Amino acid sequence: MAQVPVVRVCYLYPRLLSVAGDRGNLFALLQRCAWRGIDYTVAEADVDEIPNFSETDIVLLHGGQDREMTAAARDMAAKAGPLTEAIENDTVVLAVCAGYQLLSHYYAPVSGPPIQGIGVLDAMTEGGKKRFIGHVAVECGLSPGQRHQLAGFENHSGRTWLGKGAEPLGRVIAGAGNNGQDGTEGARYREVYATYLHGPVLPKNPWLADHLLARALARRYPDFGPLAPLPDHTESQAQVAALRLARHQASGWRAAAAAISRFALQRPAPVSASAQRPGGMARSPLGDIVDGVDASVPDQGLQMPEAAGSAEPR
Amino acid sequence: MPLLDRRPIAGSRPRRSSATRPVVADPAPGRSPGKSPDTASAQARLALALAAGKAAGAASKVLRFGGGTSFPGRVARWVDPGVLQKVAAASDLRSVVVTGSNGKTTTCRIIAALAEAGGLEVVQNRSGSNLLQGVISAALLGADLRGRLDAQLLLLEVDEGVLAKVVPDLQPDTFLVTNIFRDQLDRFGELYSMARDIEAVIEELPATATVVLNGDDPLVASFAPTAKAKRLYFGIQDDGAGIQLPEHAADTIRCVQCQHPLTYRVVHVSHLGDYECPECGNARPGLDVAVTAIQPSQRTGSEITVETPAGTLSLHVPLAGMHNIYNAAAALACATTLSLPQQLEPSDARRALGGVRPAFGRLEEIRAGDRRVMLAFVKNPTSYNTTMREVLRQPGQKHILAAHSNTVVDGEDFAWLWDVDLEQLVPQMASLTVSGTRAEEVALRFKYAGANPATMQVIPDRAAALDMALAGTPSAEPLCVFAGYTPMRELRNVMQHRGWVPPFWKE
Repeated sequence: MAQVPVVRVCYLYPRLLSVAGDRGNLFALLQRCAWRGIDYTVAEADVDEIPNFSETDIVLLHGGQDREMTAAARDMAAKAGPLTEAIENDTVVLAVCAGYQLLSHYYAPVSGPPIQGIGVLDAMTEGGKKRFIGHVAVECGLSPGQRHQLAGFENHSGRTWLGKGAEPLGRVIAGAGNNGQDGTEGARYREVYATYLHGPVLPKNPWLADHLLARALARRYPDFGPLAPLPDHTESQAQVAALRLARHQASGWRAAAAAISRFALQRPAPVSASAQRPGGMARSPLGDIVDGVDASVPDQGLQMPEAAGSAEPR
Repeated sequence: MPLLDRRPIAGSRPRRSSATRPVVADPAPGRSPGKSPDTASAQARLALALAAGKAAGAASKVLRFGGGTSFPGRVARWVDPGVLQKVAAASDLRSVVVTGSNGKTTTCRIIAALAEAGGLEVVQNRSGSNLLQGVISAALLGADLRGRLDAQLLLLEVDEGVLAKVVPDLQPDTFLVTNIFRDQLDRFGELYSMARDIEAVIEELPATATVVLNGDDPLVASFAPTAKAKRLYFGIQDDGAGIQLPEHAADTIRCVQCQHPLTYRVVHVSHLGDYECPECGNARPGLDVAVTAIQPSQRTGSEITVETPAGTLSLHVPLAGMHNIYNAAAALACATTLSLPQQLEPSDARRALGGVRPAFGRLEEIRAGDRRVMLAFVKNPTSYNTTMREVLRQPGQKHILAAHSNTVVDGEDFAWLWDVDLEQLVPQMASLTVSGTRAEEVALRFKYAGANPATMQVIPDRAAALDMALAGTPSAEPLCVFAGYTPMRELRNVMQHRGWVPPFWKE
C-alpha cells in the first residue's frame, strides 16, 4: 500500500472518566501503531464537546466513579445520536467499567437515582452491596477458532446482565466478571468491546489491542493485510504474571492460607470490624471467593502468603 | 504548663463514651475505666496487655524481626482490645491525629520538631507504621504499665482505612486531613467512599476539638460542613508558585456540590490550588494558615512566608518540592491548635523546621559504598509525579531502579502506574532496572512509556536488583530508587545489613 494508513482514535472524557490507569489503553493502541509505522491521530472529547464520530476509527470510553459517571451520563445524552450511528456503522469501540455501563440501558446504584446509558448495548446493571475487587482471568473467542486469555483487575459494585442483543466478551476463569453468577464477562455488539477489566486491559493483552486495530483498519482500508507481528515478550510476561495472580486468588488452599495469614496479621479493614474475624476462613472454595469479595475485606484472598509475610516486620 | 491551659486536666475532661463505636469485644463497653466495678481487673488486663506488648517489642528487636513498630500493638490488642482507649484516657496529654493520602509522615515530623522546640515531650508513631497495630504500638511503648504516657503530646499518623477504629477511642484534640489523592483504590473502593469515612469521623468530633483541613483541596475543604468541631484551613496563597492546569493524575476537579468542572486560578500540586466553581460559586475557603511567599532556598528546599493567626513567620523548609510546603503549612496549622506559635520565638520555629530531615525513603540520600542512592517511596500517581519531578530537576542522566510488589500494604491494583507521567522520565534515563513481585507489570509500563525492553533489567529479587542497578550506575551519579512501601522497606533492609543506613526505627 503506497499511502501510510492512519488510525483515528477518539478518546472520550480523558479527564472525567480516567481513574484506574485506563489511559494505558490509549498508549497501547498508539505505540502498537507507531511500532508498525502506522500513523494515528487522537481527538479528545470532554463534556460539551461532540467529536466527529463518522471520522473516527476507534472510540475509547473508560471507567470513573459514580459521581463522575453521573456527569458523563448527562453529557452522553448529547453524544448518543452520532455515537450510536457510528457503532451501527461498525466503528470500533472499547468501553471499560463505567464506560461499559454508559453504553448499556442503565446503571442503578444501591443508593441514588439510576443513571441512564445510551442503550446501544443490550445490557443493564444493578448496584450490589459488595464490590467485586480483584484479579480476573477471562477466556475469549472473538474470532472463530481463536481462543485468547484476557487478564486484568476488576473493581466494581455493579452487576451487569446481558440481554439477547449482546454477547459476552468471554467466560470468567477466575474473578467475578459481569455479575459473579453467570460466568460471563463483558459484552460485544458489532465492533463494541465492553469489559470490567482495568489494569489497563490493552497493554497486558496485546492480542486484544491488535484485534481492535485490525478491525478498525479493515473497515477503513479494505485491502489492508494482516498486522505485522511485534516482539511481545514484555507483554506476554506481564500477562502470564497477571493470569497467575488471578488463578492464585481462585484456588482454594491459597485463599485459605491468605485468610489465615490475614487473620494472623490482623489486617486493617476500612469499613468494619468484620475483616478481623476469623470467619473469613470459612469462605474458601472457588465459588465462594468469587461471590464473596467483600468491600470490607478488599484484599480478600489476593496476596500470596510469602508476600503477606513480608508485608510488615513481624 | 501554659501550653495545656486551654483544657482542664484529663481526669475532669468529659470524654465521650466509646460505646458510640465500640471496640470489638470491649470487656466494658461504655463504662469509663475509672468508675467501673471491674476497675481492678480492667487495670490488670491493661497492665498485662502493655507488658505483653512491650515484651513483644523487645523480642522483635532482639530477634531482628524489624523495628517492633507494629507487632507489639498486635500482641497488646490481643490481650486487651480496649488498650488504646485506656491509654488515651489514663494520660494527661493533648493528642493529634494526622490522616490523608500523602504527606502524613513528613507532616508529623514537622509537628514533632515544632512541639519539641516548644518544650513538649512527644510520643508518636515515628516510623510511619500507621495501621491499627502501629498506632497502638506507638502508644503502648511510650506508656508505663498503668497506661500513662510521660509526654504532653501524643502525635499519631493514622491510615485512612483504620480511622474509624482509632479516632473514637482516642478523642484527639486536633484532627488533620492533609489531602485526598487516588491512593490504593482497590483497598478503599472509591475515592468518595473513603472521603465519606473520613467525613463520618469528623462529624463525631466534639466541639472542643479542632479539625485542620487543606483548604486548597476541594474535596477535603468541603468535609463535614456541619461538624461541631472548630475548623482551621491551611493552603498556599502565592500565585507565582503555581502552574496553570491540573496534571493528568489530578483527582477532584469537579465541584463537590454541583459537579460542574472547577476553574483554577492556580494549581500547586495535582488538584490542590485556588479553585472556584463558575456554576455555584463554591470556592476555596479563606485560609487561616496561608503560605504567602515561596522562594527557592540557597540550600535544599524553599524559603517561605506564612501567615498564621499568631502572626507572620519566615521559615526555611529544608525539604524539596511543593508538596513539602503543604506539609509545612499543615504542620504549622496543627501547631496553631496547640498554641505553639504563641509559645515559640520565630527564630526557634525557624530553627526547628529547618532541622527536619526527610523521613526514611522520602528521597533519602544514602551512601552505598562508593555509590550514591536516592531512595524514594512512591505510592500513588501524585507522589510518584512529584518525586520524579524533583529527580528530573537535577542535572545528568538518570539511573533508575523501580520496584513494586503486590501485598496487603502496597495494594493489589497496579493500574495507577499508568497514570504516572513516566513519559517524562524515560528520555532522561541512562539505565533501568525493575524489581518486585510485580516487576513484569512495571517493565510493561516502562516499555509503553518508551523504554527499550532490550536494555531493561527485569529482576524480581530486590537484593539482586539493587546489586545489578548499582553495578550499572557510574560512581559519580546517583541511583534513583522508586519503590512501593514493601519493596522500599526491603531494599532499605538490604542497605541496612550492609551498614549503609541506620535502622529506620533509630533514625
